[in-house]
Amino acid sequence: MKRITKLTATALLLASAFVLCSTAATIPSGVRLHPTQTLIRNNGSEPETLDPALAESVGANNLTRDLFEGLTATDADGKAVPGVAESWKQTDATTWVFKLRKNAKWSNGDPVSADDFVYGIRRFVDPKTASTYAATFGVFLLNGPAVVKGSKPPSDIGVKAIDKNTLEVRTAFPVTFLPELMSNNNLGPVHRASLEKFGKDWTKPGNLVSNGAYVLKDWQVNNRIVFEKNPQYWDAANVQLTRVTYLPVEDGYADVKLYESGENEWVYQLPPGTYDKYKVQYPKEIRNAPMIGLRYYSYQTQDPVFKDVRVRKALSMVIDRDILAQRVTADGQAPAYSVIVAGTNGADVTPYDWASWPMEKRVAQAKSLLQQAGVKPGAKFTFSYNTSEYHKKMAVFAASEWKTKLGLAIETESMEFKVLLKKRHDGNFQMARNGWTADYNDATTFLALIRCDSDQNNNFNCNRQAEELINQGSNSTDPAKRRALLTQASKMIMDDYPIIPLLQYSLPRLVKSYVGGYSLKNAMDRFRSKDLYIIKH
Amino acid sequence: MWSYTLRRVLSAIPTMLVVITVCYLLLHATPGGPFDSERKVSAAVLANLQAKYHLDLPLWQQYLLYLKSVLQGDLGASFRYADWSVNDLVASALPVSAIIGGGSLVLSLVIGVTLGIFAALRQNSMVDYLVMLLGNVGSAVPSFVLGPVLIIIFAIGLQWLPAGGWNNFELRFMVLPIVLLTVINVSTIGRVMRGSLIEVLHSNFIRTARAKGLPTHIVVLRHALKPALLPVVSLIGPLAISSITSALVTETVFSLPGLGKLIVNGAGNRDYTLVLGLVVLITVLTVALNLLVDLAYAWLDPKIRY
Repeated sequence: MKRITKLTATALLLASAFVLCSTAATIPSGVRLHPTQTLIRNNGSEPETLDPALAESVGANNLTRDLFEGLTATDADGKAVPGVAESWKQTDATTWVFKLRKNAKWSNGDPVSADDFVYGIRRFVDPKTASTYAATFGVFLLNGPAVVKGSKPPSDIGVKAIDKNTLEVRTAFPVTFLPELMSNNNLGPVHRASLEKFGKDWTKPGNLVSNGAYVLKDWQVNNRIVFEKNPQYWDAANVQLTRVTYLPVEDGYADVKLYESGENEWVYQLPPGTYDKYKVQYPKEIRNAPMIGLRYYSYQTQDPVFKDVRVRKALSMVIDRDILAQRVTADGQAPAYSVIVAGTNGADVTPYDWASWPMEKRVAQAKSLLQQAGVKPGAKFTFSYNTSEYHKKMAVFAASEWKTKLGLAIETESMEFKVLLKKRHDGNFQMARNGWTADYNDATTFLALIRCDSDQNNNFNCNRQAEELINQGSNSTDPAKRRALLTQASKMIMDDYPIIPLLQYSLPRLVKSYVGGYSLKNAMDRFRSKDLYIIKH
Repeated sequence: MWSYTLRRVLSAIPTMLVVITVCYLLLHATPGGPFDSERKVSAAVLANLQAKYHLDLPLWQQYLLYLKSVLQGDLGASFRYADWSVNDLVASALPVSAIIGGGSLVLSLVIGVTLGIFAALRQNSMVDYLVMLLGNVGSAVPSFVLGPVLIIIFAIGLQWLPAGGWNNFELRFMVLPIVLLTVINVSTIGRVMRGSLIEVLHSNFIRTARAKGLPTHIVVLRHALKPALLPVVSLIGPLAISSITSALVTETVFSLPGLGKLIVNGAGNRDYTLVLGLVVLITVLTVALNLLVDLAYAWLDPKIRY
């Protein structure tokens, strides 16, 4: 067993001594609730599933977050709070014990037990389930990768029911953010009896047994999904919304039209180029806050030209992120100069030093770097992006920056999304659009983009020295040391310029002013309907 | 007639087979697969997914498995929508598309044929110009412009009708989509009807009918209408198919859960089984509607006998 540092030990003592209280919709004093507590919110697309083990998209996870509850959950501000587990403690570097609340029930009245979590997590990592997230989250659990690969049985996964209300989770290495990680519903419980009874139809209305604040009432594909309050939910007394209707409207303009006609109260995301207009038109209803996500461009670092770090640095330096954010995308996003974005736990943001230079100085240095690398004005490069009005605007701007400031001839090629993905995965590109939103709030979700041997590394750069630092950090039980190592590693890799960080995502949307509980601090954009309420209007 | 119908139905079998085969090969040849996403899945997960959907088998084996399943009436499991089979998805979208597309087609025929008759009878008059103007406007204004305009007026402004969505065949949700599709179809049908009737009205047998002293409405309704309808009838097949299965813009503007959205999303997601299932459906509809059109010819034109 690894030796636990003093700092961690203190944290453990505090965690074990402190029995966390429940959370629910916090209604400020003086706010009067509307007699009808219903909400219609657009979810952006039809979910691929309501099975928490298979949920992959943001939309599907929004739904499973209302239907199911894991050991922990994320509150309106995006913080990890108790879910089915009322408390937890870390007993050694890689072992956590979660105490389940005794009044947690499934929607059919059955108690939620530790066995339900064991069954849910084993099922999630089971190769037969074929969950796309099995490796992403499975990697943190003891024997996770081997189970996902099929070389060990699902029963070997590091989850064990100590008794009906006690669950032990063993991790493959110290995972300081495990409580936050366990809020992902992929790692939550499922109701075994109903799953075995209904087979593939277990998620259909009438069959689905859930343990979250809501139950499934109706599901019309590509039309609507209706949830109703779950009276069996342990915290039902604090759940305000009695009915939530999710729409799957993909088209931003149709979404806004439904909002304006009163048939939708929550626009999923404003169409490109409309933020400024709606900010003026609906000042009380516009909501926009930074998300933990990064818009960036990838280099194919093994390309004959882009294998030279000087070329990669030069092209990154000359893109004016301020103009990109304020004039081109103009939807409240923030310039990014690091792979780690603001609000990410586990590492600091380390912007490039040239980020604060005047543009003339940046351009002069970029030209010099290109000259040293033997790249002459007029040199031709190809930039690939997937067809979208938004990506096109950004690509045209970037190409124009490279052309006007460095004299390069950039050919932009637009293609279908899957074709771009194939190109990126195969390394068949020079520069390509890319983007990432965090799966969990920790620096490692972003480091996956630039680590050696990572599935998410589309740039094919590998910095073994930094990799060693990340491994040291991952194995450290001291949060401060871990943070320092991950920060150092991220800076080290970013000095290789494998990617061009551009903007930190934000999610501009319209939400009716009478929808309470919407926090701008929720940087993962994970809003439980449980935390929302309708103000008298 | 019956033997002709039987022959046509039987000849549809090789047609279907060719369509499925070509589509199957095209789908698999298209770059990017169903499991390619922004977050690349690990090799182990990809292997699990491929095993689950039989993509680990040789292509010919997958193809035979698919054909066997189609013959049993099972269009397979959707690659994208894990909780639904393709049969489920088609069953939920087809009625929506059929009622919107079919409803607009019937309305378009009634209005388009009527306007076409009026325009043809008053050729080069104000009525004719007005009908032609309406027809040209209907053709020229794209549905993605006209649709939002209808929403702004009737849903947001007057608040008479919903801006979109669908609620168990409730009429008010159907009105605007049907109106939009009807405007598009009327313009085509009206122009074709007008041209066809003008041509028929200049025929010798019409001149004979007039010479006999028959009143205009008898000449038109009893003698000219049936032959003049032939080009319109030949339009019905493709119009019905496009209105039912490819009304993507209408479905997008009004957020309808129809077939067009399934096809486009299916292709974008490389949802092989969903796209193939919809191709099978469209082929069946095309064959059936073309057969009905051909049978209608025989009814309308005494020179055609099967």
